[in-house]
Amino acid sequence: MQPDTPRPTGAPAVPAHRTRPSSKRLLAAVGLGIVMVASGCATSGPPAPAPVEVAPIETGPVEISVFWWGGDARAQLTHQVLDLYHQKHPNVTFKETWQANAGYIDKLNTNLAANAAADIFQLDDNMLGGVAARSQTLDLTNYIAAKRIDVSKVNGSLIDYGKVDGKQAAVPLAENTPGLVYNKTQVQKYGVEEPQIGWSWEKLISWATDFSAKTNYTVYGTMDPSADYKAFWVWLRQQGKDFYNGTKLGFTEQDLTKWFDLWKQARAAKAAPPADIIHTANAGDVTKQLVVTGQAATSFMWSNQMPELAKNTKDTLGVVSYPGDPKGQWARAALYFAGYVNTTHPGVVVDVMNFFINDPDAGKILGTERGLPANTDIRTAVVATLTDANMKATVDFENAITPKFGKAPNVPPNGAAAVRTLLIQEAEKVQFGQMDSAAAAKEFVEQANLKLTA
Amino acid sequence: MATTVGEPAVAPAPSLRDRTPARPPARKRGAGPTRRREAGAGYVFLTPWLIGFMAITAVPMLYSLYLSFTNWDLISNAGQYVGFRNYVRMFTIDPAFWRSVRITVTYAVVATPFKLCVALGIALLLVRQRRGTGAARALFYLPSLLGGSVALALVWQALFSRKGAVNNALGLIGIEGKPWVNDPKYVLYTIVLLSVWQFGAPMVIFLAGLKQIPVELYEAAAVDGANRWRQFLHITLPSLSPVIFFNLVLETIHSFQIFTSAFVIGGGQGGPVDATKVYTLMLYLEGFGESHIGYASALAWVFLMAVGLLTFVFFRTGRFWVHYADNEER
Repeated sequence: MQPDTPRPTGAPAVPAHRTRPSSKRLLAAVGLGIVMVASGCATSGPPAPAPVEVAPIETGPVEISVFWWGGDARAQLTHQVLDLYHQKHPNVTFKETWQANAGYIDKLNTNLAANAAADIFQLDDNMLGGVAARSQTLDLTNYIAAKRIDVSKVNGSLIDYGKVDGKQAAVPLAENTPGLVYNKTQVQKYGVEEPQIGWSWEKLISWATDFSAKTNYTVYGTMDPSADYKAFWVWLRQQGKDFYNGTKLGFTEQDLTKWFDLWKQARAAKAAPPADIIHTANAGDVTKQLVVTGQAATSFMWSNQMPELAKNTKDTLGVVSYPGDPKGQWARAALYFAGYVNTTHPGVVVDVMNFFINDPDAGKILGTERGLPANTDIRTAVVATLTDANMKATVDFENAITPKFGKAPNVPPNGAAAVRTLLIQEAEKVQFGQMDSAAAAKEFVEQANLKLTA
Repeated sequence: MATTVGEPAVAPAPSLRDRTPARPPARKRGAGPTRRREAGAGYVFLTPWLIGFMAITAVPMLYSLYLSFTNWDLISNAGQYVGFRNYVRMFTIDPAFWRSVRITVTYAVVATPFKLCVALGIALLLVRQRRGTGAARALFYLPSLLGGSVALALVWQALFSRKGAVNNALGLIGIEGKPWVNDPKYVLYTIVLLSVWQFGAPMVIFLAGLKQIPVELYEAAAVDGANRWRQFLHITLPSLSPVIFFNLVLETIHSFQIFTSAFVIGGGQGGPVDATKVYTLMLYLEGFGESHIGYASALAWVFLMAVGLLTFVFFRTGRFWVHYADNEER
């Protein structure tokens, strides 16, 4: 390859004593480079003081990059809304990047580390704490105070769910709540009653035991959610506890042992399938949930995911609350948009977020794909015009459960994403019979404390 | 270390064998100035590579050595010097470290010899020139071209799942299959199989080595009444030992570097129950998932040293069993 490089013929004849110093200079330059890299890193470390004023909305040509995870439907709807914004503000164009949930946070982290993150990126409550604690999100507090993002129609607790350390780190796009999705077609086929809001956990397990037997164990009654942080969370809340208490765990080893044991018994009774089948669904991928693969009659999901699940099966699905007292459920900020702290167009970024939340046309396009719209006026309008039967079922469920909601918990702390993965690991040790419940619970608490302090 | 010790392994590489006896005596260089001028030209021609090496390899590597003594955070890009705390942590309080070491060593110890045996076996079958040998060699080499691809790992995952093709085939002959990729007991071995299946590269090197063995040796042995097995044991294996050594070193290092298949089949997290959380994957998750890039750098340096040490041990012990025909001729 080197012969291709044009090179003055005299170059090799350069006297040696001239190359030597220059190579030294090169080394010095490289050395300086290291120092510059190091110092550059160091200076960008501490959080920049929040600007008191808010940035103007630029009128010149601006390109805004947007990054999110999700399925095809979300990609299409998000694109349509961005397109609509572009029509109303022709100076703004968008660069869209989206992918599946798996690997999203790794990629976002890498982009953030490279100072090359998208201007707007999507987060959920597990990620928010970690990203905000590292001062990577645009502080929206002043923008909300200046009404540049209008939250007057958004339920206050939903907005609070985007606050970290007193700063508005992100804004919620929609609202959802834990939802137990069940396969209506199969439930009717085997002639068992449909799950109801307010069933106890024991009732669900005995119902599932019965169901598995009726299908001669070709379909199991329920997914085993012992690895699922949100199911465990609801269960804890029903006992007046919480997953997190500030930056610490809000429960004890004994609580987790009890939780693991509950599902150990369920597996023993064959209410839930064997460990290897549970494992395929533990990562949370919508297309691999047992309720759509036909391996179990129920899956523990978020309510807004039901229509997406329904696309992956021919059967009819239904959704109710998780078992136990519905006060364990809460109105959760389904997904957030956050602005990148180093964005060069904060004014436009904020305006786009406002557009997603408050523009009636944008709301109509987005529907309930990310959950019920955060803006209550738009929610009413969207719900009135819904045609998709699954989306309607979701909305009916949310309306039925909303008066029974408990208080929303705080945003999970920095390290929550790692703790969520850890719960899967430890629960699987019990599911595969490698450890008993108490030992796995002990290991979980030890490891989780390390992750939360690190 | 690498260049001086590395030489014996490269020198007997099959294609070089014919050339080595005719190695010319070192040419007398001109006087000082000319020589220095030539060196200067050499550096000039080297520059593009050197810049690349410095910018992409050397500087980042040294920088990561520095990071390994800090608690650097990938995202906030800040951290403090913590001395040897990262190194102490991995050896004393991080259970994930030893678990990953155990998984990676298990993988390497099973996959490397298995793959080399298959490669040698197939090479022995294909070394005689018969009709269709060329096509067969190409076919056997084909899987290696696919490399460590994500698509292949996904196919593997489908093949070895509970209702996958492998279990269907086993069902036909009356064996009840296992959920191979979803059971922590078996999943690592499905990854071993994937690696073994891609035996093409060592096979080609073995083939070249086999062709270099003089036919007279076999004829002489046959005259003395040695059967095929004894011929293999006393002629093929010793003559091939430099090539075996070369393949062994290469494949061992390769095994330790396993990442893609473990990442994909393990669902990105090394599951089920960490059974596929090999060392490089653990390092990746620590650095890019949890953004502990300081700790991940320390893990990477320990890994580099371990692989380097292992290679060194191979070269040391290689003296006792690797047989260099060329050396004896001299």
